[in-house]
Amino acid sequence: MGESKITSFVPEPGTCLPWRIKKEEFGELAGDEEIVKAEWEKLDAFAYAFIWFWVQR
Amino acid sequence: MSDKEKLFQERLNRYLTVLECGKPDKVPVGFSVGEWIVKYTDTYLQEIYYDLNKAIEITTQEIDRVLRDLDFDLFRGGPSLWWPPMFDAFGSKLYRFPGFHLPKESTFQYVEAEYMGPDEYDDFIADPTGWLVKNYLPRINEEFAEPGSYRASIALLKSAAAYAMQGNIMGAAAQRWRKEYGLVAGTSGFTKAPFDTLGDTLRGTKGILTDLRRRPEKVLAACEALVPHNIAYAMIGSRGDTTLPCSAPLHKGAYPFLSREQWEKFYWPTLKAVIEGLWAKGKRTWFFAEGDWTPYLDKIAELPEKSIVFVIDTTDAKKAKEILGGRFCLFGGVPTTLLTYGTPQEVKDCVKRAIDELACDGGFVLGPGGVVMGDAKRENIIAMTEAAREYGVY
Repeated sequence: MGESKITSFVPEPGTCLPWRIKKEEFGELAGDEEIVKAEWEKLDAFAYAFIWFWVQR
Repeated sequence: MSDKEKLFQERLNRYLTVLECGKPDKVPVGFSVGEWIVKYTDTYLQEIYYDLNKAIEITTQEIDRVLRDLDFDLFRGGPSLWWPPMFDAFGSKLYRFPGFHLPKESTFQYVEAEYMGPDEYDDFIADPTGWLVKNYLPRINEEFAEPGSYRASIALLKSAAAYAMQGNIMGAAAQRWRKEYGLVAGTSGFTKAPFDTLGDTLRGTKGILTDLRRRPEKVLAACEALVPHNIAYAMIGSRGDTTLPCSAPLHKGAYPFLSREQWEKFYWPTLKAVIEGLWAKGKRTWFFAEGDWTPYLDKIAELPEKSIVFVIDTTDAKKAKEILGGRFCLFGGVPTTLLTYGTPQEVKDCVKRAIDELACDGGFVLGPGGVVMGDAKRENIIAMTEAAREYGVY
């Protein structure tokens, strides 16, 4: 997967590495995609808040 | 349901009633714990800045002390805004903290600079989050100056961990204060006017004022690019809560920082867009109008009904009531300078006037109109709260 990382994208507000990008890299998931997606998005939102914290003082 | 939970629900309902411009049984009262409590303890600012548990403990002690005799609805605290270890781990240049750069009894200082150059607008506008990660964070944090290096990786790990730790500790404290004292937080989440986001931290005051004349279109475009981010940041910070308003401390929009023409062109449209965007998601904005906003009340009145809580600091209270009353909940009535320099009797008189002028038909919370400063007197804050209950019964 390391060789197929997408590096050129603009994350939507509220995201850093949107699921749509990660999903494209992963391809088909073996199990329930929604579970993986939901937790991915929670952590992504946390990272987004951390990054923007430094500007929104 | 425990007695404290009943008390919590009673206070919350009182607050929710005024947010809808209604008239509850009593005027809700806002109480703020800030740096002022430290002078009534055996500790000093460095300790409560650095030791979060200590900060929570002395806040709880103060609640204990005042709650014996006082009754109020909304609680804002604790005593410090920032947790310096998170900044120290990253090597942040943004602040000077007590006990690190400043004497241990000092408050913090913000170090303003042009952290974004005038030639970087286009890159920022094209990809705000990417630009922050690649340019801003390494620039403002000395330990993160060389992303990918050992030092930078460790610093990022530590600072992000500290961010999570602080959130968890403060969240647990809020739950404790709810469970043990029935206290209601006045807000959830945080956002800013896009012009302030740009002018406070990225371009700095001098930079953005220069830009208004030299590259006004870039300022406008950057503010527009910030709108969806300031909405997203608010919603993430409030974890999707739409019961409580989102705090929006407003800085450079106070009169007369900008001319009316500049305010209408550069400040207002994107702040309005953030507020309307949040309201579309069911989220109110706590319009923290520090300073004087009297000349802009007519524009603020254009916002969707009930979409904000307008905080009165030095804005003309009568005009605010006349123009905004009935459309939006009003908050304040007690200048923070009075809490520092006034006497309890003067505070009491002020509360009576504020309730007479602002509370008659509901839609009002009595409280300090700004941040209660470190030199505020406890007796004045107690006088404010007691007088609010004495005069604020419908």
